[in-house]
Amino acid sequence: MGMPHKCTKCGREYKAGSTEILKGCASCGGKKFLYVKETEINKDVLEEKSISEIADESHEDILEIIEPRKKEQVEMYDRVETIRIVSPGTYELNLEKMAQSDQRIVSVGKEGTYIIDLMSMAKDQPKKKKKVKK
Amino acid sequence: MRIFYQTYGKAKKKFSNFLNRFFKKKRTRIGIYGPPNAGKTTLANRIARDWTGDAVGPVSEIPHETRRARKKEDIIISGANGSTIMIDIVDTPGVTTKIDYHEFLEFGMEKDEAIIRAREATEGVAEAMHWLREDIDGVIYMLDATLDPFLQVNIMMIGIIESRKLPVIIVANKIDLTEAAPARIRSAFPQHPVVAISGLEGRNVESLYETMLECFG
Repeated sequence: MGMPHKCTKCGREYKAGSTEILKGCASCGGKKFLYVKETEINKDVLEEKSISEIADESHEDILEIIEPRKKEQVEMYDRVETIRIVSPGTYELNLEKMAQSDQRIVSVGKEGTYIIDLMSMAKDQPKKKKKVKK
Repeated sequence: MRIFYQTYGKAKKKFSNFLNRFFKKKRTRIGIYGPPNAGKTTLANRIARDWTGDAVGPVSEIPHETRRARKKEDIIISGANGSTIMIDIVDTPGVTTKIDYHEFLEFGMEKDEAIIRAREATEGVAEAMHWLREDIDGVIYMLDATLDPFLQVNIMMIGIIESRKLPVIIVANKIDLTEAAPARIRSAFPQHPVVAISGLEGRNVESLYETMLECFG
């Protein structure tokens, strides 16, 4: 068994005995290939390169580094709406939101809408009434 | 003279309203919460019948029979040691996170009727949650003892009730059925009193009344 090859121009790797090694790299047309150890195959894509390594390899004067933006995961119960209308007659209810929200839903409309009592939103946080002990 | 009596009558009414406002005892409002078909209305009816002779509302095996919170006021419950509490019982619609009209079609309901029922049930849950926020002083949380208590909605509702710092009694209902496993409910919610009853047959309801006196009194 021969060893896998790697294009010196673009870094694409080929299995031992691939015809691209004779024809030229399928990605960049490069004709020069290096042997790659089995253990180091795909190393460049599996391991993250440091910014300085990328800067060295790119030979560019200025590199713009874009911070990866964290993808915010929206949990079901972090959703804004208290009632999600899947289709008329099918509803998903966000109980925690209902328990927290100042909005009071008065009625769910026919056309997939719901009516919120604005007055209840304007009210102050309700004070829990004290229990009277006998 | 007639005018005098009218004015006198009005003044008397005003005065008694005024007195009522000051001397009327504050009611303790107990909400019966729980998933659909746990037997909330059956229990509300039983409590009302046992202590006042009236019923609260109709019962059916189709989920979401109760779609508006129903209230029975001024129920006086007395215990073995002579202590009493006056409560209002609020029977609430079954709380779920998903309401789909398709489930009603299985009970032979027409599509239009089922959609209306789903919409009313949704409004009812919103209303029940609103009551929990503003008007409820204590909760009876009802569970069907034949079912798994670890439903997401149960865990969530108990959490919401706890965060509101409301006293809660958990009722393991339907112990008249052979599949009932109230012990499973006891181990699921060890932080709260759990009373196993049959709302239908009235089995062990006395023990629930005693627990209500302890928790809500």
